[in-house]
Amino acid sequence: MTPVPVPRRSLPAGLELWRRWFDALPFWARVLVFLLIAGVGVWYYNDPYVTAVAVSVATYAILGLGLNIVVGYAGLLDLGYAAFFAIGAYTTALLMTQAHWNFFATLPLAVIMTGTAGAILGYPTLRLRSDYLAIVTLGFGEMTRVAITNWDYAGGPNGVLGIPPPSILGFQLGSQMDFLGVSLFLLGIAMLATHHLDHSRLGRGWVAIREDEFAAEAVGVPSLRLKLLAYVMGGMWGGLAGAFFATRIGAIDPTSFTFQLSVLVLLLIVLGGSGSLPGVLVGSLVVVGLPEALRQFSSQRMLVFSILLIIMMLIRPQGIWPRVRRKPKPFYGLEGGESSDHAVEALRAHQREVEERDRRALTGHRSAGQGEVLLEVKGLVQQFGGLRAVDDVSFEVRRGEIFSIIGPNGAGKTTVFNCITGVQKPRRGSIRFDGRSLVGLPPHAIVSRGLGRTFQGIRLFKNMAVFENVMVGIYPRHRTMTWQAMLHTPGERRDERRTLQEARRWLQFVGLEEEAGRLATELSYADQRRVEIARALASHPRLVLFDEPAAGMNPTEKLELIGVIRKIRDLGITVILIDHDMSLVMRVSDRIAVLDHGVLIALGRPEEIQRDPAVIEAYLGRDEGDEMVEAIGS
Amino acid sequence: MGAFLQYTVIGLTVGSFYALVALGYTIVYGIIRLINFAQGDLSMVGAFIGWTLLVSLGFQHLPLWLALIAAFVIPMIGTALVNLGILQFAYKPLLHKSLWAILITALGMSLFLENAALQVWGPSINAYPPSMLPSSGFSLGPVHVTFLQVALFLTSLLLMAGLYAFVHGTMIGTAMRALAVDHDAARLMGIDVDQVIRLAFVLGAMLAAASGVMIGIYYTQIQFTMGFLLGLRAFTAAVLGGIGNIPGAMVGGMLIGLLESYTAGYLSGKWETVIVFGVLIAVLVVKPTGIFGERVAERM
Repeated sequence: MTPVPVPRRSLPAGLELWRRWFDALPFWARVLVFLLIAGVGVWYYNDPYVTAVAVSVATYAILGLGLNIVVGYAGLLDLGYAAFFAIGAYTTALLMTQAHWNFFATLPLAVIMTGTAGAILGYPTLRLRSDYLAIVTLGFGEMTRVAITNWDYAGGPNGVLGIPPPSILGFQLGSQMDFLGVSLFLLGIAMLATHHLDHSRLGRGWVAIREDEFAAEAVGVPSLRLKLLAYVMGGMWGGLAGAFFATRIGAIDPTSFTFQLSVLVLLLIVLGGSGSLPGVLVGSLVVVGLPEALRQFSSQRMLVFSILLIIMMLIRPQGIWPRVRRKPKPFYGLEGGESSDHAVEALRAHQREVEERDRRALTGHRSAGQGEVLLEVKGLVQQFGGLRAVDDVSFEVRRGEIFSIIGPNGAGKTTVFNCITGVQKPRRGSIRFDGRSLVGLPPHAIVSRGLGRTFQGIRLFKNMAVFENVMVGIYPRHRTMTWQAMLHTPGERRDERRTLQEARRWLQFVGLEEEAGRLATELSYADQRRVEIARALASHPRLVLFDEPAAGMNPTEKLELIGVIRKIRDLGITVILIDHDMSLVMRVSDRIAVLDHGVLIALGRPEEIQRDPAVIEAYLGRDEGDEMVEAIGS
Repeated sequence: MGAFLQYTVIGLTVGSFYALVALGYTIVYGIIRLINFAQGDLSMVGAFIGWTLLVSLGFQHLPLWLALIAAFVIPMIGTALVNLGILQFAYKPLLHKSLWAILITALGMSLFLENAALQVWGPSINAYPPSMLPSSGFSLGPVHVTFLQVALFLTSLLLMAGLYAFVHGTMIGTAMRALAVDHDAARLMGIDVDQVIRLAFVLGAMLAAASGVMIGIYYTQIQFTMGFLLGLRAFTAAVLGGIGNIPGAMVGGMLIGLLESYTAGYLSGKWETVIVFGVLIAVLVVKPTGIFGERVAERM
C-alpha cells in the first residue's frame, strides 16, 4: 500500500504548542509520554471494566505491532498470525504450570519458540507468491489450533488451567492495574523496537521489496532473507503477546486462537493504516473498543461492527492514521566543501579491500588485473519455449574496458544481461566473473560479488525519495545486524549516517544532488536513468551493466551520459552497455559485440564493426550496406 | 479395498461441493486478483434461500422436479443478486485504490453475511427436508452408492461442464479469459471490463449457491456458520489446483474432498485440517503455482 501524505490541520493555539513540543521530543520520549498519559488516564478513571478493556487494547496493540512488521513493512499477507499467539501462550502456560517458572523467565523461551516456528514455516514458503502465502499462513494457523486441541499433554480442548499471575522481585502481581502496567511496558518495548526497525536499513529494504521485489533483488537486497526476517520477527512479538495473555487470563484453551483472531489483528492494522505505528494503536482501540461500546446492541453487535468496518474502508481505504511518507532528512554530518571525490575515495578503498580479501581468502586466486579477463561468457544458451533467445554466445570482457552489446530488437541482448545478473537461469553455458561461476546464484548474491545493473525500463522505487533509492543500492555492503537496528545502537546510527552521506555523494557524481529529496517519479526520464546509475554504483560494483541508458534522452543528455560512462570507467569499473544509439555506442565503446537472433555475429573494435558485412546485413538487409555504414558511422 | 472405495465415493461427493465454491474463488481471482473471502458465505446464503423455499414456503410438497428446479434456480439467482450488490456497493469503489482495503472489505463482507444470516434465520440448525431424494442406492461389489450421491455428483459435473463450455465457447467467456491475462490490453480491445467483472461475480455466486443447496440436501442440515469451513476448504482447493485456473479448481476440490474423506476414514476426523493443509503446503513447496497453475510472473 502506498503511503499517503496527509496535510496536517492546525490545532487551536494552545494545543498546537503542545504538539510542537511533543513532535520535538525523541521517539523514546514520545513513547514514554504516550504510555504515561494512557496509564495514568486509565488509573485515574479507576473502573475495573475499563482497565480490563485497556489491557486488552494493549495486548492487541502488541500483536498488531508484530503483524505490522509482516504486513505493513514487508507487505506479506499473513492470515495465520494467531498461531504465534498460541505458541507463545502455550509455552508460557506450560512452563509456569508444569515447571513453575517465573513469568518473565518464560518470555525468552516463548519468543524463541515462536521465532523458530516462524523460521521453519517461512523458509520453504516465503518464496511463494503473496496470495499463496495467504493460504499457507492460514493453514499454519488452523493446523496449530487443531494440533493444540488434540494435544493431550496441554489439556486438549480444555487447555491449560491455573496459570499463575506474574511475580516480580517477590511481589505477586494480580490486579487489573498490575496487568495494565506490564502490558504497557511490553507495548512500549514493542513500539520502540518496531519503530527502529522501520527506520533502519531493514525498513528500507522492506519498502524496496514492497515497491518492486524484482528490482530490489537485482540491486542487491536479499529479498527472501528479509521476508523471512520480517515473518520471524513478527511472529516473535505475537509470541510475547501470547505469553502475556496466558498469565493474564490464567486459563487458556484452543478457542482463543482461532482464524477470527488472525483476521481481527490484520483488520486492526489495515483499519489503522498499514505500516503505520500510530495506526496500529488507533486500530486496536477501534477493534477492541468498538465491539465493547456496541454491547447495547447485544446480538446484533457483530453485524453492526461489520457494517461499520465496510463503511470505514469505503471512506478511508488508506486507514484512519495512515503511514506518512518519510520526509527527506537534511543531510546532517556533512562538512562543507566536501567534494564528490569522497565517493570515489570510498570506492577505491573498498576496491582495494576486496582485492586484498580475495588474495588472502583464496590461495592461488588473483583478481583480474587491468586488461585481463573479468567476465567470461562461454556457450550461453537460453530458450523460451521453442524460441532460442540466446544461442551459443561466447565473449570475454576485460577489466577496465567499455564493452557494448548491440543488435536489432529481439536479438537477445537483455536476455544475456538477465543471465549474467542471475535474473534468469541460462539453459546451458558458463558465466564466470573474476574466475568464479555466477550460474545459479540469486541476483542479490551476484550484486555482492561486484556486478551492478540498471534496467531497460526504469525500475526505481517509485514512492521512495531519490536519496533513499540510492541508499537501497548500498544495502549489500551494509554490515549492521538486526539487533543493532532494533536497539538503534550507536554503531547502527553511524552506519546509517555514512550510508546517507555516500548516497548523497553518488548523486553528486551523476549530477543530481539537488534532487535528492524528491520522489523518484517526479524526476525527468533522463534524471531517473541517472538515479539508477547512482544506485548501481552505490553497491561498489567492479562491473556495471547498463541496459539502454540513453533511451529517451535528448542529444545534450546523451553527451552528458557519455561523460558519466567514461568517468565510471576511470574509476576502475568495467562497463557493459546495451544501446541502440549507434553514435553513442561507437564513441564510447572499446569493443562491441553484435547479436542477431540470439547469435553472436561479430565482435571487435568499433571501426571493425562498422565495416563488418554480417553486421550491415543484420541491420539493413543485403544491398543496402552503404546506408548502414553512414548510419552507424555518423 | 472396500473401505477405500467407500471413502472415495464420499470424498468425490463432498469434493464436488468444494469444487463448485472453489470455482467462484478462482473466477473472481482470475479477473480482479481478489480473494473474495465471502465466497463460502455466499454458499451459505444460497443454502438458506433454498431452505426458505423448500421448508418455509412449502415447496417441498410440490412435484419433485418442480421443487428441485425452484430450490436450485431461485437461490442461484438470489445469491447472484446479493453478490452483485456486494460488488457494486463494497468492492467497486475500492477496485483501483488499495488491495489491502478491498481484502479487508471482503473479510468484513464475510462477517456481515454470517451475522445477517444469523439475524434473518436464527442461530439454530435448520433442517432440510430429509426425503427429497430417495436415500436408497445400489451396490457395486463392496461399495454402496446412494442415488443421492450420484445425482449430486452428476449435477456438479454438469455445472462445471457448463461453466467450462461457457468460458471457452462463448465470446464473453473469451473476454473473461483475455481479461484474466491483461486488463489493459483487454480494455483496448474493446472489452467492457465492468461487465466481465459483474459476470464473474454472478457466475461465482451461482456456483456457490448451487453447492450450498446441495450441501443442504446431502447433509439435511445447515447453519449460518457453515460458510466459514466451506470457504476455507474451497479456497484451499483453488490454491491447490492453481488459483485462477478453472480445471485446477475442479481437480483441487475433488482432491481436498478425497483427502478429507480418507483422513476421516483411516485416521480420525479431528486431524482433517492438519492433513489437508499439510498436503497443501507440501504441494506448494514442490510446485509453487499449484497443480495446474501456470508460471505467471507476479510483476516482471
